[in-house]
Amino acid sequence: MKVLLVEDGKQLAESIVEYLMHEGYHCEVAATMDAALEKVELHEYDSILLDITLPDGNGLTVLERLKASGKMEGVIIISAKDSLEDRIKGLNLGADDYLSKPFHLSELGARVAALIRRKNFKGGNKITFNELVVDVQAKLVSINGQPLSITRKEYDLLLYLLANKGRIISKNAIAEHLSGDMADMLDNHSFVYAHIKNLKRKLSENGCRDYIKTIYGFGYQWEL
Amino acid sequence: MGAMSKKLLTKTLRVYLFFSVIVLFISAPLFYLLADKLFIDDADETLLLRKKEFAVYHQPFLKVNDIWVWNKFNRDVKIEANLFKIKRDSIFYSSYLDTLANENEPYRVLLSPVSIEGKPFVLAAQINLVESEDMIRGIAVLFVLILIILLAGLYFITRMLSKRLWEPFYFTLGQVESFELDKNTKTQFIPTDVEEFSRLNQSVSKLFEKNSRVYKSQKEFIENASHELQTPLALFRAKLDALAQQLPFTEEIGKTLSVLNDAVTRLTRINKNLLLLSKIENDHYSDTDQFSINGLLEKQVAFLMEQADETDVAVRLIANEPLPVQANAALLEIAISNLLLNALRHNRRGGNITIACEEQTLKIANTSNAAALDTTKLFQRFANTQSTGGNGLGLAIVKKVADMHGWRLEYKFDGEMHIFLIIF
Repeated sequence: MKVLLVEDGKQLAESIVEYLMHEGYHCEVAATMDAALEKVELHEYDSILLDITLPDGNGLTVLERLKASGKMEGVIIISAKDSLEDRIKGLNLGADDYLSKPFHLSELGARVAALIRRKNFKGGNKITFNELVVDVQAKLVSINGQPLSITRKEYDLLLYLLANKGRIISKNAIAEHLSGDMADMLDNHSFVYAHIKNLKRKLSENGCRDYIKTIYGFGYQWEL
Repeated sequence: MGAMSKKLLTKTLRVYLFFSVIVLFISAPLFYLLADKLFIDDADETLLLRKKEFAVYHQPFLKVNDIWVWNKFNRDVKIEANLFKIKRDSIFYSSYLDTLANENEPYRVLLSPVSIEGKPFVLAAQINLVESEDMIRGIAVLFVLILIILLAGLYFITRMLSKRLWEPFYFTLGQVESFELDKNTKTQFIPTDVEEFSRLNQSVSKLFEKNSRVYKSQKEFIENASHELQTPLALFRAKLDALAQQLPFTEEIGKTLSVLNDAVTRLTRINKNLLLLSKIENDHYSDTDQFSINGLLEKQVAFLMEQADETDVAVRLIANEPLPVQANAALLEIAISNLLLNALRHNRRGGNITIACEEQTLKIANTSNAAALDTTKLFQRFANTQSTGGNGLGLAIVKKVADMHGWRLEYKFDGEMHIFLIIF
């Protein structure tokens, strides 16, 4: 899986690359618009993470170029400019997703994973982890072939953990992922805890091993 | 100011009038005295002239025996016996009863010793004077007339001045009164050749421009600052996430990282909300749609119920009729979300939240352990961050959204429930 990261912040780019490499992606970085244009001319990518504010131009130009040349890789816009117009403009130009800075790396990881799944398997794919199988298209979970009854939030949580398997995810990241735009709660860790608890219970009751590890008041980890 | 304030012109007019009346009142008696003196002097001169005439034309030819004839045909000059032994001329006032008019007529009388055929006589000449009552009346009428003319003149001149001369001033005043800092309108003034007004217009114009500029740069500053903060925040958060992957985790480290994470989350939200406020102020969200609020409410209330479960807060949504609104959907969603989350955040365990759509009003009521809130500061930025754990911008955003759409936002406390109303 090849991912192109277009981001001028060197330090931020390093963190993102490191995180994605760990997830098994091959990651290249372009720090300017020109470098990005050159790279998309020469190579094919499964996904492009595109910052809009670049030192030598607007990231949307790269998007326009991609659209013009018919190479519509999965593009996720990552922008510090959380502006409605940019979001709409970007999505209209064919971007698949929009993530505004600052974001959690785990959130980015989940979005990239979801995007690549959609692109490569046209949505009809399954995530398998030992005895656990998630049918992403049908949104069904089964353990050892037995279907598992699970709520929408628990399903989202499971997918999020799986997309970041092996990584330590903070409660804050999970809370934001689950509550979306209504995340303006500071005391919502208990709500994350409740969902985790329910998910763990359902998984273990149905014969799944306990993969979800609690990390000392910080967050959770899907153990490999 | 207030009820006591008067127009400048009215004040000037009053001073003018007061002065005129005083001048007229003082000058009226002076005028009377002067006129009286001139008149008397003239009368005295005439009397002395008559005496001279008598001395030159009549005295040499008059016989003692003819005096009665003389007296008969001269009404105002008579020759009488010198009963009081008058030695020299004397002039004095006297009055006689006018039998025809039946009133006392004032006279000026000259008594002069003359000798006729060697015998001493007195020449008594008299002149009828104007009655001083008549004169005073005449002068009074004259002065009242002058006063009326003065009054009317001043009044009309003032009106004319106020209309024509002061027009640019009143126009400028109107502009200053209607000036609003956040409405970026270009101000225009009536051109004037009055130096003071022209200076006033220039100064006001400069003041407006400067204020608008400062306000604009202030707005832009907040927006730019928020933007600039996003990048280091993003880095901070990413590095924190990366750090969590590398550490040999202990409970201490977990706690510390958790505190850092909470802090950066809080910082991020404050920053996002500041940016949002400043974007609303900069008209980034000016386009609106017509839609029903109900779908939006149901979605948000579902999320709220999930959150409320933790603290056993009962959430009730009463929305029987569709409530149509003309609004920017994104902003309305944020506003409602802020109100709902406040209703939960400030609630007590086992309390309740009622959300109701009535006619053109959205009502959100919640129980709480808090007393009635201070409405003067309620909707200000960072007004009540101490007690709540919120970021202090939620209600400020709700207020801004309401203002932008022209909705009314109200708060009341009925002894049990804290109630927020948006009246569309």
